[in-house]
Amino acid sequence: MIFFRVLHAEMLKLKRTLAFRMVFVAPVLVVTLIFFILYEKKEFKPDFDLWDAVLKIALNFWAVFMMPLLITLETALLSGLEHGEKQWKHILALPVTRKSVYLVKLLTVHMLILISMTLLIVLAICVGLVFIKIRPALANTGMPPWGWILKHSAYVWLASWLIMAIHTWISVRWASFAVTLGAGIAGTFFALFAASAKLGKFYPWLLPVNVFMDGRLKMALLIGIIGGIVATVLGCWDFVRRDVA
Amino acid sequence: MQKIAIETSGLTRRFGTQLAVNEVNLQVPEAAVYGFLGPNGAGKTTTIRMLLGLIRPNAGEVKLFGESFADNRLKLLQRVGALVETPSLYPHLTGRENLEVTRRLLGAKRELIDRALGIVKLTADAHRRVREYSLGMRQRLSLALALLNNPDLLILDEPANGLDPAGIHEMRDLIRRLASEFGITIFLSSHLLSEVEQVANHIGIIHQGKLLFQGTLAELQAERHEHLTVGVTQPDQAAKCLTAAGWQVQRGEDGLLNVAATTREAAASINSLLVGQRLDVFHIAQAQASLEDIFLNLTNNSAEQEAAR
Repeated sequence: MIFFRVLHAEMLKLKRTLAFRMVFVAPVLVVTLIFFILYEKKEFKPDFDLWDAVLKIALNFWAVFMMPLLITLETALLSGLEHGEKQWKHILALPVTRKSVYLVKLLTVHMLILISMTLLIVLAICVGLVFIKIRPALANTGMPPWGWILKHSAYVWLASWLIMAIHTWISVRWASFAVTLGAGIAGTFFALFAASAKLGKFYPWLLPVNVFMDGRLKMALLIGIIGGIVATVLGCWDFVRRDVA
Repeated sequence: MQKIAIETSGLTRRFGTQLAVNEVNLQVPEAAVYGFLGPNGAGKTTTIRMLLGLIRPNAGEVKLFGESFADNRLKLLQRVGALVETPSLYPHLTGRENLEVTRRLLGAKRELIDRALGIVKLTADAHRRVREYSLGMRQRLSLALALLNNPDLLILDEPANGLDPAGIHEMRDLIRRLASEFGITIFLSSHLLSEVEQVANHIGIIHQGKLLFQGTLAELQAERHEHLTVGVTQPDQAAKCLTAAGWQVQRGEDGLLNVAATTREAAASINSLLVGQRLDVFHIAQAQASLEDIFLNLTNNSAEQEAAR
């Protein structure tokens, strides 16, 4: 099937790329930050919930800042592979459908983000376990809340469908790295201002972090998933009908 | 009846108000090496992009091997290999990995990679990253990508672009070998007539989007006309004198006069006429218009006609 052939080829293209390395770098940065925040904390109250602190900081920071930037970077780098030496004209002159080429690009971004997020959770749990060992006050901490972790990781991922679809379209449509990065950085930083506004619950770059806010979860998932599907269909439609320079 | 590999009818493409390709009717016979000639900006690459479905025509149709391209794109592209302008390679991957990416996209057999590397003589360098390749090696690797699916039709857009003389020679040999050993139909675009006439047996000349000539190389060569070149120290005066005597005269770029005549008798009478007018004749010879002249004549005439409209 054409789709799997294109996906198989895409996996090989990732070899030795910055796009693949960033999947590991991004969660390590977040977890390092958490480690130092906790390390500076010398006293822990009896009701201190280690897992709540570690995982909430990790996922919140991930959702509001690191993931949108990582999505921006990954989409720019993945499309950059084809823009670099105008590979589009080679790929699209092969017996493959344009639809499959576009959808594979998007799916690859999803896969890389999921791998990165899984690594973030694993590393965050490791940090928690390290503190249980080195801080006697935390010795009685129980097991990580697996259900909460799974549920909220899935929410963050689902709510990010829209920004992944938007960034995939932008990066495929414009060859310039500056356009893609500019859109991502602008989107992420405007989120800081949009967060306090009422309309913030509709802002695409805030959707992943909205899943942690009271009363915003359903809207975040609804806009993330439906908006993501609509943006994917529109991006794909544009790619299929566009001239290849 | 001769089978046709590429057939276009009324192929037209506009970019805004500019007509890039204007009702082009190509006929490329199977197993031919078809040289698609034209100056830069003539519409060659736009035509090739339409043949490969990279851009859509505003009007007209493309048929490959007798079937409509628009209706059978995936099936027909299985039989086509292409190199469009510059090489499209992944510099961070090795030569072999670049071929593997295309092999996966094609769903082709793994053995074809070694075969393609062998044809372009890159087997020994296949393990090296493409960013270490010279331009000639990159061009050969691109050709290997185009050959990977064992195509019946190879479309090459300016394959000698950017190559040094040795690279051009190598590419020319490779194209000849592909045509003679593998019987592949080759559609080759270039702005250099000298390049094309050494490998092609069919020629199409495009200028300002219009196909000005299409036929075999022999038919193009038949358009060569013989004439006399006359060298005189006072060419303006001589041209007037000859014209007044009824000869058709053109000033050549080299300062010589080209007179529409071929026989020895004509040469003798022209000489007598000029000497009789006390003009100093230092050269009279029979000459034949080169293919370059025919090409330039065709493209210049077309430009003049366009300007006159």
